[in-house]
Amino acid sequence: MTNPTDNEPDETGHLLRGALPRWPAPARLRRAVMEALNPVEARSRPSLWLPPALAALAAAMVMVLWLAPALRRETGDQIEYLSRAAISEHARAVLWSDTRADLLPAALPRVMEESGVTLNWVFTGDDDLQLIGAVPTVVEGRRGMSLVYRDRDGHTVVYVIASGPIVPIPERGRVQIERWRPLLRKESDGFSLIVWRQAGLVCVMASDLVSEGDVGRFKQYFAKVRASTELSKRY
Amino acid sequence: MADDEFRQQALQHLDALHNLAVYLTRNGSEAEDLVQETYVRALRFSHRFQPGTHLRAWMFQILRNTFLTFYRLREREPALGEAGVADGPAPMFHDAPAQDGESQSAHMDLEVALRRIPEDFRTPLMLAEIEGLSLDDVARIMDCPVGTVKSRIFRAKERLRSLLKDYGQPGHERAP
Repeated sequence: MTNPTDNEPDETGHLLRGALPRWPAPARLRRAVMEALNPVEARSRPSLWLPPALAALAAAMVMVLWLAPALRRETGDQIEYLSRAAISEHARAVLWSDTRADLLPAALPRVMEESGVTLNWVFTGDDDLQLIGAVPTVVEGRRGMSLVYRDRDGHTVVYVIASGPIVPIPERGRVQIERWRPLLRKESDGFSLIVWRQAGLVCVMASDLVSEGDVGRFKQYFAKVRASTELSKRY
Repeated sequence: MADDEFRQQALQHLDALHNLAVYLTRNGSEAEDLVQETYVRALRFSHRFQPGTHLRAWMFQILRNTFLTFYRLREREPALGEAGVADGPAPMFHDAPAQDGESQSAHMDLEVALRRIPEDFRTPLMLAEIEGLSLDDVARIMDCPVGTVKSRIFRAKERLRSLLKDYGQPGHERAP
């Protein structure tokens, strides 16, 4: 190691190296990083068999056109699919979910067990926003949970937490909300979504707050929930 | 550098990056997010990495820049008061490994003392002393001249020694 101050006895350096605890990456982080470095989508590789490949390409294009609707789910925008799934969760919460805040304390352990997501801390509410429901769910093949909040004007906000392969959050569309920079999406069908990663999990918050003022409120809700919720993968 | 080779080499620095991230964010969950973001960015900008240069230092640079851009809370940063130190709560680390009482106490003193040093001084100290990076690499990561790095490390050590005396760190001022 470098001794930056050549004339100084390096007791402090020794102390730091010897006594300061090191924090190696936990296994879940290693898995998440490996998934991020090796995305599922196979990248095209140059082939030495170009002429036969060209012939095959024509046939493949016909097949692709025929199978396009099915293939789209495999290769499309994961954020888009998760967003649609979060909107479905929102609809489910509005229409059918059992939303009784008094049932929550008893329900949460079961929800955590079934979802594979642990809530070390969770935002349960304040004067503006109240946690009223929690259910295990599966979104786009990922296990997770939906937390249902309702604000004082009756708007439902659903916070979907899903495990599974890491989803890179694109740079475009990110907004600064306090100290975080999640992705903000405004859907054409009347929903706003905020997407971010937390503790190796992908999180989507969906609401029907879409006007400019309402989106500002939605961002505040995000900041409250994000600041007071701490997650980890259960297994 | 080929993508596969880049990935393989980048992964070797995961533990070191996470360690620095913990000390930067003081929060286990945020540290993990910061490291993930660092790798996503490193991969995105891997074409800018110059083979033959120090990948470890490059990754640390991305991590610190990401932290400064997205994670740093100005109100969390200890502002230097008149005495050169700032007050604040002890750092909270999650998933801390089990330690025996005495060594844990010593570590906590050291951690608390380290936390009281501003990030601009703490990070070069950690990069040089803990991670063993050269002053040139630290200067590149910190985006400042080598002379400034030397000065910051010197001052950080000086401050750390002073703080540890206050805490009664074993081997310094603890009564027999």
